[in-house]
Amino acid sequence: MTEFLIANMAPIIFGSLVLFLLLGFPVAFALAANGIVFGFIGIELGLFQPTFFQALPERIFGGIMNNDTLLAIPFFTFMGLILERSGMAEDLLETIGQLFGPIRGGLAYAVIFVGAMLAATTGVVAASVISMGLISLPIMLRYGYDRRLASGVIAASGTLAQIIPPSLVLIIIADQLGKSVGDMYKGAFVPGFVLTGLYLIYVMGMTIFYPKSAPALPPEARIFREPGGKTGGTSLLLLTAISSAAAIGWAMSQPADKPTDEMIVVSMCIGMAVAFTLAMLSRLLKLGLFSKMAERVTFVLIPPLALIFLVLGTIFLGIATPTEGGAMGAAGALIMAVSRKRLSWSLLRQAMDSTAKLTTFVVFILVGARVFSLTFYGVDGHKWVEHLLSDLPGGQLGFLIVVNALVFFLAFFLDFFELAFIVVPLLAPVADKLGIDLIWFGVLLAVNMQTSFMHPPFGFALFYLRSVAPSSPFKDHVTGKLTDPVTTGQIYWGAIPFVVIQVIMVGLIIAFPQLVGHDKQLTDAQMEQQGQAIDIRKMLQEDSAKDAAREAEKAGGGAAANDGDALTKALREANKPQ
Amino acid sequence: MNALLKLSGLIDGLSERVGRATIWLILVVVIISAGNAVSRFALNLSSNAMLEIQWYLFSAIFLFCAAYVLKKNEHIRIDVITGRFSARVQNWIDVFGILVFLLPMALLIGYLSWPVFMNAWTSGEMSSNPGGLIRWPVRLMVPIGFALLILQAVSELIKRIAFLTGAGPNVLSKENGPSAEQELAEAIKQHHIAPEVADIVSMNRGMVNGKEGDSK
Repeated sequence: MTEFLIANMAPIIFGSLVLFLLLGFPVAFALAANGIVFGFIGIELGLFQPTFFQALPERIFGGIMNNDTLLAIPFFTFMGLILERSGMAEDLLETIGQLFGPIRGGLAYAVIFVGAMLAATTGVVAASVISMGLISLPIMLRYGYDRRLASGVIAASGTLAQIIPPSLVLIIIADQLGKSVGDMYKGAFVPGFVLTGLYLIYVMGMTIFYPKSAPALPPEARIFREPGGKTGGTSLLLLTAISSAAAIGWAMSQPADKPTDEMIVVSMCIGMAVAFTLAMLSRLLKLGLFSKMAERVTFVLIPPLALIFLVLGTIFLGIATPTEGGAMGAAGALIMAVSRKRLSWSLLRQAMDSTAKLTTFVVFILVGARVFSLTFYGVDGHKWVEHLLSDLPGGQLGFLIVVNALVFFLAFFLDFFELAFIVVPLLAPVADKLGIDLIWFGVLLAVNMQTSFMHPPFGFALFYLRSVAPSSPFKDHVTGKLTDPVTTGQIYWGAIPFVVIQVIMVGLIIAFPQLVGHDKQLTDAQMEQQGQAIDIRKMLQEDSAKDAAREAEKAGGGAAANDGDALTKALREANKPQ
Repeated sequence: MNALLKLSGLIDGLSERVGRATIWLILVVVIISAGNAVSRFALNLSSNAMLEIQWYLFSAIFLFCAAYVLKKNEHIRIDVITGRFSARVQNWIDVFGILVFLLPMALLIGYLSWPVFMNAWTSGEMSSNPGGLIRWPVRLMVPIGFALLILQAVSELIKRIAFLTGAGPNVLSKENGPSAEQELAEAIKQHHIAPEVADIVSMNRGMVNGKEGDSK
């Protein structure tokens, strides 16, 4: 019996972890308890020294408390909450809805566009879905949008907050992979926008093949009009042209050796500044240079865009760390809310309360995960996972397919915090060994985990949408007609095409690794060219050599030998290809 | 039971007060960090003490709020399965979880972190960065945070048992006031012009906090 226990400690721990978690007790405590129970069993069986748990306080102190990366979590959460409540989302939805409204599918495009903008200011899915569900859904229903398309597009655009920086999940994955958050953000940037593009293409396809599913706004619904009845579109185009010209003009005047990303960020800032100044002048001096539409679009769109560029731009350019960027963004959001006269004590208190709670429960899952991993790595659990996964047929590709299928499946039951804290640390060493770029791997997992918000019936985004979609017939105050409610079935069916799109995106990232751009990336092709193709057998041999080294270290005793993470890190270092 | 429930009420009050005070640290740390960033860019000035206070405050936030979040029942649960069980079973699971998972874990970490604090206190441990802060205050946060968590766990245990013996309400189903999401919906209702929003928010009031919300 004892023999069996010792030999199969890792699978037993893993199995009981699943059991503990499914009990429905808070994840943080179930995880930690699992580590502690099996830690004591391990001490009884003689697997660990009696001083095994002495490493615990340092694991919490060193990895969690003294950790600047994690500090970005409360900052970006707070920034997002303040912005969401400052009325920015409402103004954006109304204005962009009016802007795109006259074309077929315009409201759906507006939702996707605003979803991406909200995503770039906040990592909070719930608030985006709720704002868009409350504001855009009734309008879409009024003008005869297909209910499934309308609800799907809202839920899916809300989940963009997961992948477009500054998303919380990217911070956590970066922390778990031991990579810089800035690199992770850079890597996720293009995939985030490609995904947004895929949503737009889907809506466009719907407007072409099923025009009735996404009609244009009728003329009487367009509220920003000139006294003469014109829409003011020409004036908006003119303003856009002037500011773009200013931006491009500046970019052309710069020396050619300037880094491209810096050029893009700075020239866009200049373009926005020009547009904003012109509109401001026109309004203050009552020049009437621009149409209502043009002014409105400028005043609604520029401040959040400027904030996005200040925060993400400085992070991308490497001027600010993500923590600094988050702090400045949070301060900027406060300033914006004050200037919109939307900041009240109760809003401030509520945002602080939600931020503190989210930070606490997220960090506590990490506390639990680190207690768990002390024991799990202590019994070589990571090695067990590695052997399971590196024996898969098909090498890298086989591993990626299995891992993505696994994460997709787990996402039905777990949300991304649990996936990021429990699953990612187990997969990362294997991925690293197989020669997979960890930034790329992290972004891939983040896109995959996005589906956890969209899976019927447990997807969070769907649940929040359900909570703000009309659940019984209601009277539309504009048309005076009684409108049917949106059924739960419609919300679920509406989500499916977007889940499929997200899965396609996962495939695209695997097929075109260069989508995930960051500085020092080796693509598969390059690796093969360099003759670094992966030989698993050779690796396993090296592995057993390291096992022996590890045993020797363990015999030496001491807290360091007990600390699984330090050991894994050391192993990973040793394993880095030269 | 009455005396126990009174004790539980006292502990709840303590956690609530500590939590409500701690959330202000969010604002403090935002201001300090934004100040640090700006002073680094603008004046090329940075102070290790000001940088270290950031993570001292961060640690204080999550350690001192742990009991508060437990009281609000907002630590994430996976209740895909158990969400379908009866209220009694759910309370029994919590009794088991508090006794077997939460209390041993909090006791162990709290117990182990005390000597670490004492060591920092007696040795006067300092940050290794020049101009850094003294370490014992942040070392002390761990035992304090976990002591608060233990107290709150006892209070939750009393409340669960009170429900199971019929002496109290089911705290697991009780709505702890409107959730953040619900308040957002209310705020949009106030600010937005479209009258349907008001209808829908009123129609769905209570749904956000409903059982489905915990299904993940």
